Order: sequence, then structure tokens, then C-alpha cells
Amino acid sequence: MKQNLILIKRNVKLFFKDKGMFFTSLITPAILLVLYATFLANIYRDSFTSALPDIPDFPEKIVNALVGGQLISSILAVSCVTVAFCSNFLMVQDKVSGALRDLKTAPVKPAALAMNYYAATLISSLVICFAATLLCLVYTAIAGWYMSVTDVLLLFADVFLLVLFGTALSSVINFFLSSQGQISAVGTIISAGYGFISGAYMPISSFGEGMQNAMALLPSTYSTSLVRNHSLRGAFAAMEKEGVPADALAGIKTSLDCNLAFFGNDVSVQAMYCILAVTVFALIGIYILLNAYKKKKD
Amino acid sequence: MKDIIQIEHLSKSFREIEAVRDVSFRVREGELFAFLGVNGAGKSTTINIMCGQLKKDGGKVVIDGGDPDREPERIKREIGVVFQSSVLDGALSVYDNLESRASLYSICGAAFKERLAELAEALEFKDLLKRAVGKLSGGQRRRIDIARALFHKPKILILDEPTTGLDPHTRKAIWKVISDLRKNENMTVFLTTHYMEEAADADYVVIIDSGKIAAEGTPYALKNAYTGDYITLYGADEAAVGKLGVNAERINHGVFRFSVPNTAAATELIVKHPDIFYDYEIIKGKMDDVFLAVTGKTLTGEER
Repeated sequence: MKQNLILIKRNVKLFFKDKGMFFTSLITPAILLVLYATFLANIYRDSFTSALPDIPDFPEKIVNALVGGQLISSILAVSCVTVAFCSNFLMVQDKVSGALRDLKTAPVKPAALAMNYYAATLISSLVICFAATLLCLVYTAIAGWYMSVTDVLLLFADVFLLVLFGTALSSVINFFLSSQGQISAVGTIISAGYGFISGAYMPISSFGEGMQNAMALLPSTYSTSLVRNHSLRGAFAAMEKEGVPADALAGIKTSLDCNLAFFGNDVSVQAMYCILAVTVFALIGIYILLNAYKKKKD
Repeated sequence: MKDIIQIEHLSKSFREIEAVRDVSFRVREGELFAFLGVNGAGKSTTINIMCGQLKKDGGKVVIDGGDPDREPERIKREIGVVFQSSVLDGALSVYDNLESRASLYSICGAAFKERLAELAEALEFKDLLKRAVGKLSGGQRRRIDIARALFHKPKILILDEPTTGLDPHTRKAIWKVISDLRKNENMTVFLTTHYMEEAADADYVVIIDSGKIAAEGTPYALKNAYTGDYITLYGADEAAVGKLGVNAERINHGVFRFSVPNTAAATELIVKHPDIFYDYEIIKGKMDDVFLAVTGKTLTGEER
């Protein structure tokens, strides 16, 4: 046990000491912040305002909370995965630097090393993503606070689940990488692409039906929706109180991917949790099998 | 002395490239064993198979009485490896590096601190413990590499070109540490090196070329078999040297050097010409000459 703790400590320390890796993991959230700061926030604000029926003295704070909620949900949904990927690149860097060769000269099982990488990535990613969640909550408080304690707790639970998902996904993908070039390629693809396929840059509802159906097959779609549901629930409740009709509210929820459909069938929040949990277990299973059946080098 | 390493008919190919071809040798316990060859000769492949990191195609490997494929954990406890280039974590401190590597052998807590103190004393790196490995000089880093390899008190220390790129002073210091360890702990040292003077101090030498053993023996036997003796004559004139009937090279004014097939031939020449040999020296050929004679290459890979 102590052996594992020391190795996990080594991996966590290496991630935080490698500033390149740390800042790379923050590229996608940074892109999102820039997008919102430059034009997306205004586009969404105008879009929400135009979608709302004419209600006199409708509080602007609620609109700000909607825009803010969408921003923080997008940032958190992508950060949990990109941070996990970057943190887990350590397992590839150890192959490249020869450190893994050194570790393997010792009487330690490859599966134990693999699980130490998983645990270290989980810890590093949770530290960063929980810190990001706190910052996002501060931002929400400034923009317009409508979240309940339950929403906050569920948001933290979502982040935890998403980090588990990101860590498991990155473990399986990074297992096959063995060079610095591959790290760069996968890092770039994840940083640039994950925001799109998870609906963080643009809501999935804004894509065509075929694309929406294709994206419904990806677990990442539900991860963003989960975070979005919990970060916006308070704002939706406030809108309802202000007299926004149910159909208008449902339209806004759908446009923000809070209501998702799987080939025409509505997917509940509970179903989203199940999809993600099953995906995490499946990915961890694949990762364990990959390591267990990995033969000694031919 | 028992054989601590036995390699018999070892072979390994990477697709069509035969990296190791029917290699057999034995290493005795406590011995300094030199394994020589140019880059790509098959040294690293053999070492990786011995360490259980690479699968062999055929043959037998026995380390300390066990098969690395069948008892990998026990065999790995008996081996410490110093890799050609440092594989420690440059961003972490010396302490953190050694702590994480020691934990691989379940050396934690008080046992770790005790062993760390011993090695820091022996290898003189007490003052470096808090410094990042990446910021150490080549010699300092090598000492930490050796400490990492020795942490679990292995019976066999594999040194893969341990002093390459180090200055002579640091090389000397590192060899003193290794010699002391051999003396005090009867440790077997398996060495690959590019420095022939290091191989000259070995108890036994195996030269591998293109995956096959090209020559083996003690440095003395190899020198006798593959090189002649060199005689340097001082205070001689060209006419006198001409009488010897040898192909002498003029080194300096009155200084000539030439080779003879062996020491007996040198003795015969001296006895025959005592008037010429009044100031001279005889030295045996060097391991570089042995390597060149055996492989037709220098250790930097140049063909003769």
C-alpha cells in the first residue's frame, strides 16, 4: 500500500512540476473563456432574450445566470477530460524518457504501475477540476446566483464522475502511445476536438439531426448535459417563478442540451448518470485487460 | 566461485535482424565482467533479456540459479541496472527519485532513510538530496543513478556504459566506488563500456560482434592471443635499429617503437642485441588493439 502511495505521489508531483503539461491541459478552458469573452456571451444573451416572451421587468440577472451557467458547464465538462488526458500523458512520457524501463527493472507488476498512473491522474485532475469548480461558482455568484446547495453538491459529483470518465478514457487511449509526437497529436486533437463532440463549444441542438444522432452515441455528450443541468437548474426555476411559460422554458432547455434525446427517446438525468458510470466501468475494465494481457516485448 | 549468470545458446531476432545469435557465456560471482561490442552488436538486447524486459527466441538464461521468465520478481531483486543515459525524473529531487525507486522494492519509511544515509555517505551525495536531478552535473547524476541501482542491495550490478561522457576525474571516482562495492559486498559487476582501459581491469571479457561472440577470455589471455608486445627503444640510432630487422617507427630523436609477436620474441631480440637494448621498455598490446583485431572495428564503430 505504502509503495503505491509513494508512486502515486511521484506521478502527481511530476504532473504539477511539468508546467508545459499543466498549462496544455488548460488550453481548452482558456479557448472557451476567450470565445465567451469575445462574442459567444453576447450571442447567447441576445438569443435567450429573444426566446423569452415579453415579461415586464424580467430580471437581467437571470439571463446573466443562464449565460454564466452555460459558460461554467462548458468549461467544467471539457476541463475534466482535457486535464485528465494531459495528466495521464505521464505514462507515455515515462515510456519516452526510459523511466518506465527503469521502473520495470524492479519487481513490481505492470498492472500495479498502470493503476498507480490511473490513481495519480485521478488525484491531479480532481485537484485542478475542483479548484476550477470553485472558481466557476465564484463567477456564478457574481453573474447571478440561483443555485441551491443540492445543485452545488451535484455539480461537484458531476465533476467527480467526469474526471473518472476522462481518466479512464485517457488511460485506454494513452496506453497505445509511445512517442512525444503521438502525445502532441493526441493532445491537440483532444484540446481542439473534445469541446465540439461534447457540445461544450456549441450546443448539440444547434447541429443537424444526423449529427445529433451520431453524437448521442458518445458518452461525452451526456457528461456535458449533466453538468449543464445542475449549473442551470436554479436559473430555470427562477425563470419559471418569473412566469416564463413551460413550452418556452422547455425550448430554452433543449437549445442548451439540458434535454437530450437518444434517437427520439428522451434521456433523463438518471439515465445520463448510468451511461457515464457504465462507460467508466467499461473503460477501466478495458484498461485492466490491456495491461493484464500486455505481453512482454517481442 | 559459482556462476551467477549463465547464458546458453541465446538468440533473439527483430523480424529479419538477428540481434543475438547463439550467444553463450558465464559470469562468476563477484567478478567484474566486461561485455564489449560496438553499438548494435547485441549488448543491450542481451541485457534486456537478462533483466526480463525482453522475450528471448531461444536458449537459456539463468540468473542466480533462476530463470528470469519463470521467477521474474526474485531475479529482479538480484539485479541493479545503471542505464546508459539517466532515467531518473529530472523534475524531482534526488530524495524523491530515490524514495519512489526504493518503494518499488518495498523499501519505505525507516528502512529507506537508513539505506539512503548509507548510500549518501558512500557515494557522497548528502548535499544533493534536495536538488532536482535535472539540475545536477553529469557526474553527480551518475552517482545518483548508481545509488538507485544499489538501493535494494542487488547481487549483480549491470553497468551499461556508466562513464560515457564523464570527465576522467569523475570516471575515476565512480570506479573507486564500484571497486569498493565489489570488495566489500562481493558484488558481481556486468559492464559494457566504450573505454577499453576500463575493460582491461575486468576479470573476464566477452567481445560480441554482429550478435555473435567474437572472442572471450581474461584481458591477459586476449592480449596474448590477439596483440603483440610493443618495444620502445631509447637512445638508439637509426643504423642500430636497422640491424634488428624490424619495422620500427621513429617517435622522437633517438626514440623508436616497434611491435613483436609476443614477449618471447622480445626476449630473444634483446638477448641477441644487448648492445642496442640498454634503455628500453616493453608493454603488452592494449584492449583497443584486441578489439580491433577481433572485430575489425574500433569501439566507436569505425571499420578497419
